Amino acid sequence: MKIIVCIKQVPERDAQVRIASSGKLIEESDLQFAMNESDAYALEEALQLKEKNGGEVVVLSAGPERAGTTIREALAKGADRAIQVESDSLNQLDALAVAQLLSAAAKQESPDLVLTGLQSDDLGYGQTGVIMAELMGIPHASLILNVEKTDTGITVKRELEEGWFQSIDLPLPAVLMIQSGGTKLRYATLMGIKKAKTKELRKISAADLGQSAAPAATLEKITQPQKQKSTQIIPGSPKEAAATLVEKLKFEVRVI
Amino acid sequence: MSLLSATLAEPQSFQTWEKLLLLSLILASAILFFRRFAPILDRILKSRRDPSFTLAPVGKRIWDFFWEVLCQAKVIRERPLPGLAHAFVFWGFCAFALVTLNHFAVGLGFGFLSPEGVFGRFYSYLAATFAAACAIGIFGLFVRRFFVRPRWLGQKVSCESGFIAALIFILMVTYLAAFAVKSASPAASALWWIHTLSILVFLPIIPHTKHLHLVLSPATIFLSRGGFSKIPPLVGDEDFGLVTGKDLTQLTSLQAYSCVECGRCTEHCPANNTGKELNPKEIILGLRSYLNDLGPQSEENIIGKYNSLTADFQCTTCGACEFQCPVGIEHLPIIIGLRRGAVNTGAWEDEHGAKLFLALERGSNALGMSTGERDKFIQKQAFPIFDGSQEYCLWLGCMGGYDPKGREIVADFARIMNYLGTSFGVLRKEKCTGDPVRRLGNDLLFQQLAESNLETLAQNKVKKIITICPHCVRTIQEDWKEFGAPPEIEHHSEFLARFADKLPKAGARTTLGAPSMAQSDRAIGGIPEAPSSRSGKETIVYHDPCYLGRYRNVYDEPRAVASLAGEVVEASRSHERSFCCGAGGGLVFLGEETGDRVSHTRVNELVATGASTIGTACPFCNTMFRDALAEKGDAAPQLLDIAQLTARNLPALDNKPDNQPRLSS
Repeated sequence: MKIIVCIKQVPERDAQVRIASSGKLIEESDLQFAMNESDAYALEEALQLKEKNGGEVVVLSAGPERAGTTIREALAKGADRAIQVESDSLNQLDALAVAQLLSAAAKQESPDLVLTGLQSDDLGYGQTGVIMAELMGIPHASLILNVEKTDTGITVKRELEEGWFQSIDLPLPAVLMIQSGGTKLRYATLMGIKKAKTKELRKISAADLGQSAAPAATLEKITQPQKQKSTQIIPGSPKEAAATLVEKLKFEVRVI
Repeated sequence: MSLLSATLAEPQSFQTWEKLLLLSLILASAILFFRRFAPILDRILKSRRDPSFTLAPVGKRIWDFFWEVLCQAKVIRERPLPGLAHAFVFWGFCAFALVTLNHFAVGLGFGFLSPEGVFGRFYSYLAATFAAACAIGIFGLFVRRFFVRPRWLGQKVSCESGFIAALIFILMVTYLAAFAVKSASPAASALWWIHTLSILVFLPIIPHTKHLHLVLSPATIFLSRGGFSKIPPLVGDEDFGLVTGKDLTQLTSLQAYSCVECGRCTEHCPANNTGKELNPKEIILGLRSYLNDLGPQSEENIIGKYNSLTADFQCTTCGACEFQCPVGIEHLPIIIGLRRGAVNTGAWEDEHGAKLFLALERGSNALGMSTGERDKFIQKQAFPIFDGSQEYCLWLGCMGGYDPKGREIVADFARIMNYLGTSFGVLRKEKCTGDPVRRLGNDLLFQQLAESNLETLAQNKVKKIITICPHCVRTIQEDWKEFGAPPEIEHHSEFLARFADKLPKAGARTTLGAPSMAQSDRAIGGIPEAPSSRSGKETIVYHDPCYLGRYRNVYDEPRAVASLAGEVVEASRSHERSFCCGAGGGLVFLGEETGDRVSHTRVNELVATGASTIGTACPFCNTMFRDALAEKGDAAPQLLDIAQLTARNLPALDNKPDNQPRLSS
């Protein structure tokens, strides 16, 4: 089974994000980057499938030069080779344009299965995987916790609301959006890192894929969330204050 | 016949056939010895060379050899009675070197020590004294091994040990008896021959028994790695630690063959003493069996038939085994080497271990918390940020930056520094030093953390670091050396001891009820008042943290600091023999699933002293004891770091305004 795992490099979880002077991007100079969390679970799922059923795990990542460290990390954890769609203007693209690039690259590999994380920790669109499936003309499922290979295709476990799960059979090839927390991640090892040095990392530019890559949606402005603290002290006797409080909760805040 | 007129009786002449018989017996014994010893020597020499080994400093090696081998100092100090018995046997053997040489020379007609000559008489009396001491010693050891039977010596009674003890006893008795018979008598001849045969039988037995330590351990002690728990660097792309025979180095193999199976390592091992599988002696004997069966060129895994993965990861790296070993075996590089092999190749699968590794791959601290938590703590305490103008960089560490109790310790230590007018600052960003991953054998992560921290320290031009955590001290000072030049570092106990005469003593406090800077972080109940005002002097039992004591040789400083706050009492095991709290070696993050908890065993010892306070000097010990004391309820003594013990007696308004720079945002 040939599995493609799409991986995005995102700012580290603890990063102190500042807005760049353009107002459309975040300032990258001081940031540390890491693998998108749900992508790490997608990779783990792919590695486990390969360990059980054999095959190949190919990492596919669209990102600038710096994404190389995250790709190496994926190779160190056990992926066989990697493709990097290199472009410095990716952060100006929308989910559709990125999905166009990724699906074009994925098609060349004719994979049996494409795994992506559910959504990115930075932009959080949750769109890329779904659009990829559409562009590739193959079925997809999202919020996946677990994948099992069957004789005819795969059975996947989806997470629904309120502790419900759904089990679906899918034919192959397919695209799955993997949810964080479905399995336990493996740690990177020295041996893995040393082996990763000799693994293939193929770089292709967006132009090579023949995609126009003009975004359909553009980001106008990003802002820090407004911090609001509006404390009201309700005067009067406890009885009066309680009455005012109930009124406010009913008509102003509308929670009761 | 008065004692001083007694003369050692020797046969006067030997027949030619006797000389020929003697020669052939010597030859047979020597050949047998070398045929058995050569393969062992070969396995040691064919092992991989030690990458970082240097003979320098030779002076220290000579001293260690003199002190530990010739004086038997360690053997005696750590087990006085059996140690002394062993020392007498050893010194007896030394004194007998000349006697034995002369003994064979007599048989061949070249005797050079005449029992009637001045020197010969003197030496025979000297040797006789040692022979008597040696005979008593070996008899004592025989009684211990076969009748007292301490469990460290193993379940099975070793017959070969009994046989060897008998041979040594016969050697000594035949020598002494020769003073009571006439020269040239048949009795003198008989004694001479029994003595000779005993030596010649003894020699070939040596290589295949633990008595091989006679030959090897002096070399093992002389050729130590040159530092406590010295972990060798990995060399080349194929070195992941101790995976197969090919990874065994000459020192490791030499040590494996030197083991005398005395079980001192086991006796002091916190894991073994609380019912875990780990037995440091078996780790060493496992390597020996591996070498005997497969040799140093084998590519078969060591972990498996010859070593237990579970046992390897039960080690707290407290170093009691390595410290105790009388024959110079360095257990920590071996146990950590086996862990490195398992972790660096991904063979070790452990839920908690993987969680710790992932927390440090993605985040900054071993507790897996957001760095924002550390920022908030720094802001709340108004710690100045290190900008190069201050004397010290106060290294918070994971415990000091994130753990509630560790934060209290840091906050109180900062109060003391302010009181003393010592300038300090904290780094904006700090990562775990890599101590837990270093001891668990994750070299990839350790290197990343060490390099990242070294870069931060260099950028900030840090010259001197001070910290409350002995694990940080050890890792920064020793383990980071592989990747750069770390700044000078000191543990807070050393700093506080230096200023002891400037620090307030118990009862000296003038204002009561001083609010501590850390007050707001403290749990409900807080720290009770020092009982000094109520019921005489407070008694404090000080617990030696492994990484401050055995690893750094700091024993007196924290006691000097604790004695400012009250009377220091000692637990049944203290100083070099201190018993681990159970946290080291990354084990605080792994959980302890089998046997008793190490922390509970230790806390019981500390509580048994009747002290009103347990004094600690390591935030990990502190957190382990806090959990262990929880089950003691109201009867539990208080638990305070030496910094807290000191800060408690500071005057209320010790915060000079000029020492209060605010965090610039």
